[in-house]
Amino acid sequence: MPWCQFQFLSSTAGYCGLKSPPKVCNSKRSAAQSKMSAEDLIVKLADSSNNWSKQALQVIRHVWTEQGKLIMTPEAAKHMLTVGQLVDLQWKLGMAISSDSCRSLNHPYVTMMLKVADPSGEIISRSFEMTVPQFRNFSKQFREVATALEMV
Amino acid sequence: MAEQCSKSLNGLLGGLAQITYYQSPGITEQMLKEQLYPDLPQQDFKILLEKMVGILRSIASADMDFNQLEAFLTAQTKKQKGITLEQAEVLTKFWKTHKVKIRESLINQSKWENCLRNLSWRVDLKSQSRHLDQINTPIAIMEFELGKNDQESEFLCLELDETKVNQLLKKLTEIEESISELSYTN
Repeated sequence: MPWCQFQFLSSTAGYCGLKSPPKVCNSKRSAAQSKMSAEDLIVKLADSSNNWSKQALQVIRHVWTEQGKLIMTPEAAKHMLTVGQLVDLQWKLGMAISSDSCRSLNHPYVTMMLKVADPSGEIISRSFEMTVPQFRNFSKQFREVATALEMV
Repeated sequence: MAEQCSKSLNGLLGGLAQITYYQSPGITEQMLKEQLYPDLPQQDFKILLEKMVGILRSIASADMDFNQLEAFLTAQTKKQKGITLEQAEVLTKFWKTHKVKIRESLINQSKWENCLRNLSWRVDLKSQSRHLDQINTPIAIMEFELGKNDQESEFLCLELDETKVNQLLKKLTEIEESISELSYTN
């Protein structure tokens, strides 16, 4: 499950008292995907920046040795993801009139395009399509999020 | 005898729907012949099959309502080498049962974009931040699971604060209004 990977990364970053969790996340994600050893990971981190203290690197070595195998399965590594910032959401309401298999489709659909900035600043775009009932469910979930945010 | 013919035809139509619309693996036309029409000569079965495939395709393609269906099937009964009244009755009952599911399947067959397979979310409270004004800020973390056809899912994870969520809610309201206008126009 992606959530437990995310929590592992966050807790590791917090444990180290690191100021830049996203860089830890990126390093650990690529380490998990390439099944890096603890020593290789430490060398990579030390080479990437002078900001890593000896103490921080020791902590990472310890945590990776103890818990790294939990996230080094191919499935888990694939699901490890960076939390991005939503830059833009565009939408389109379309109507499929007919297709090669159905001359009378008459089917409305909603297409959304999300533009997301990852912590490195790279912007990626992803689009997806929903039927009207799926959109209504999506909308309902968003309202639940808004309510939950208000109640904190 | 007539009841048996109706049962066999109903089975045939169900089997054709499985093959054409529901993409069920393992069902073949030959299997349908062996199970439903074992005594019918191969050539006669082929004629029956082609007739039913054509009729089913016309009904599904036009997404016929029941008035249209009645008119269409009545015309088929009057044609030379058309269908019998019993067969028309079986087709009507069949369409009543399968109309919605077949339509859904046709819609899915013409969907080639990613679809939203799942949406998960949680709300966090930021306890540490480089910027003091972000402390104790509630943040929503949302995970979109996207995918198409039989391909593996891609996960997109976003962090949204209250302002962003409210901006998005406004956009969602605009979409809902457009959908309402579309329904009203139709």
